[in-house]
Amino acid sequence: MRTPSVLWIPFLAGLLLPDPVQAHHGWQEFDEKTEVTVTGMVTDFHYVNPHCVVEFDVKDDKGRIQKWQGEFSNPGVLSRRGWHAAYLEVGDKLTISGHPAKKDGVLALHVTRILSANGELKLELRE
Amino acid sequence: MPQTFRTRLGRSACLFAGLVLGPPGQTQTLADREQGIPVTDPLVIAKCGGCHTRDERGNMQRLSWERTTPEGWQDALKDMILREGLSVTPPEARAIVKYLSGSHGLAAEEAEPVRYDPERRIHDETGMVSESLHETCGKCHSFARALSWRRSEADWKQFADSHGNRYHIPSTAEAVEYLSKAAPLQSPAWDAWNARTGAQSLSGRWLVTASMPGDGTYSGEMQIDRDGDDEYNTRATLTSIRDGTRILRTGRTIVFGGSAWRGRSKGSGSAVAPDGLSTEAREVLLLEADQSTAEGRWFWGQYQEFGFEVKLRRASSEPTLLAVDRPSLKTGSRAIRIRLIGDHFPAQIGAADLNFGPGVTVRAIASNSPNEIVAQLDVAADAPLGKHDAAFRRSSLPGALAIYDRVDYLKVTPDSIVAAFGDRNHPKGYQQFEAIGYQRGPDGRAHTADDVALGPVDAAWAVQVFHAAEGGSSDSVGAINSQGLFTPADKNPNLNFDCWVIATARDEKDRNGAPLVGKSYMVVTVPTYVFNGRRYVRDLDRWVDDGPDR
Repeated sequence: MRTPSVLWIPFLAGLLLPDPVQAHHGWQEFDEKTEVTVTGMVTDFHYVNPHCVVEFDVKDDKGRIQKWQGEFSNPGVLSRRGWHAAYLEVGDKLTISGHPAKKDGVLALHVTRILSANGELKLELRE
Repeated sequence: MPQTFRTRLGRSACLFAGLVLGPPGQTQTLADREQGIPVTDPLVIAKCGGCHTRDERGNMQRLSWERTTPEGWQDALKDMILREGLSVTPPEARAIVKYLSGSHGLAAEEAEPVRYDPERRIHDETGMVSESLHETCGKCHSFARALSWRRSEADWKQFADSHGNRYHIPSTAEAVEYLSKAAPLQSPAWDAWNARTGAQSLSGRWLVTASMPGDGTYSGEMQIDRDGDDEYNTRATLTSIRDGTRILRTGRTIVFGGSAWRGRSKGSGSAVAPDGLSTEAREVLLLEADQSTAEGRWFWGQYQEFGFEVKLRRASSEPTLLAVDRPSLKTGSRAIRIRLIGDHFPAQIGAADLNFGPGVTVRAIASNSPNEIVAQLDVAADAPLGKHDAAFRRSSLPGALAIYDRVDYLKVTPDSIVAAFGDRNHPKGYQQFEAIGYQRGPDGRAHTADDVALGPVDAAWAVQVFHAAEGGSSDSVGAINSQGLFTPADKNPNLNFDCWVIATARDEKDRNGAPLVGKSYMVVTVPTYVFNGRRYVRDLDRWVDDGPDR
């Protein structure tokens, strides 16, 4: 992971105020009042600023693969919890909870919790 | 009347922030316990002595208990001009920065760990300091900005108090304690630096390698001619190892304190494209203590997003290997042509003069000249994987050639970055990407420290906005060309966009036979923004305020 000098500071602080006011995507694209839980297999993990992203495949009721994207936190925070770029690996089976995207048809979560296949808690971001 | 910085800069040009000298304020009782660095320059004494009292040992308040980079002293001087009303002419300002950067600068060893800051590099600072220290310092600037200063314990305390008052942050004892130990005024490195018998002239012929993401490596030479105390004119002639394109760049540089190279150069051709290689560039390099080599960056652009990684070596009469034209070779390869670029290669050479480590055999020398050797190599099927040195006789390039048996994954570099829309007052912020092939290291896991970089991979490029419909257009955000250069759209929508920059390998496949894919997280942002009442100025890489009303 990298902290590219001062560039990410406003994005990470969530206090970006362009002129006129318009925030970085932040979390307003997600329904923070709702939480869903899905189980899938990691296809990629991006341990980067401004947010870490886990991409994973989920089988729907009919056995079709759905491509999901989970967004959460940043490496500066996660590194202090022992995370690193290989903390989630391709092929890992995870149960991921989070707030779903508001936009119809978008399979994305603002992640709040990650459990491994054996139930081990890998991340808890619930308040 | 000479034009002063105060009148020339005006309020609109207060383009700096943060780590500054501050007025002398309270007496420096604690600092008196540490030996200060006397100030002997008459101009500094004349211009600064009105506030920074000089004692019988020649120590001036604050100044004698601080050391920093040329950028640090430049910031401090600007702050004195804008906040304290110091009046100096531009030549006087340059002379003051030059004196202080030499007599109160950093030893090369001290400058090395923080050189990414003046070189405007993306650098990982994760885990560098505690969470509370990150809260104190890292919310507004890189931690390197703090560690670019060396102060006595008392001066760190005084600085922390005044900095905290000015920017409304708590002055923590932890920060003072940490910085006093991590960045002390007196250090063995500084003692050794001062004990040097004097810097050599840099005049003469130097060998250059310069690599630019997306454009490959150039090699050539630089003629350096002295033109004043520690000031030089430069003329670099470079040739692309990839396609033979030639560049001529001329420039001028100052070397502060025998190690800090700060210059500007420009190419002879026209620089129409934003990434044009003739564009005027800033040069920031660090000379090794023995002044035989220098490394750093020549850069330009709104985010300093374009630039060469540069290495200079003082030319000698000995054969010198500078570069190889391939970053990696696959096990089992036969009769692979490789070019070795260098200087003073002798006319008579043989296969035994070349060495690429175990498992790599020189089958034949195809041709040779004083600057280039073309050889044919065989790589054994069981050649040790990983980085191999390349050597011609006693001249070697550590880790120049990676031996691999498969490309395990692609990494798009930079792996996260900001680009920016432009407007009438702000040029666009571009971004050049590269797809780098990697093989897993001995631990068998991807994305760990032992993975081996294999060099750029030919890839198709695409941009995809987060949460966009499958196959949706990203034209309103910008476009990426076949070389991986992203150009933001002309129209500024006053919105920020999170995007994936996606590289799909043309040749390399995963274990299922599908093309390898790598992604970078790019935020395309607005032309300018403010944060806690301060503006971010991209070309300075700093948050700035406009100073007090005058």
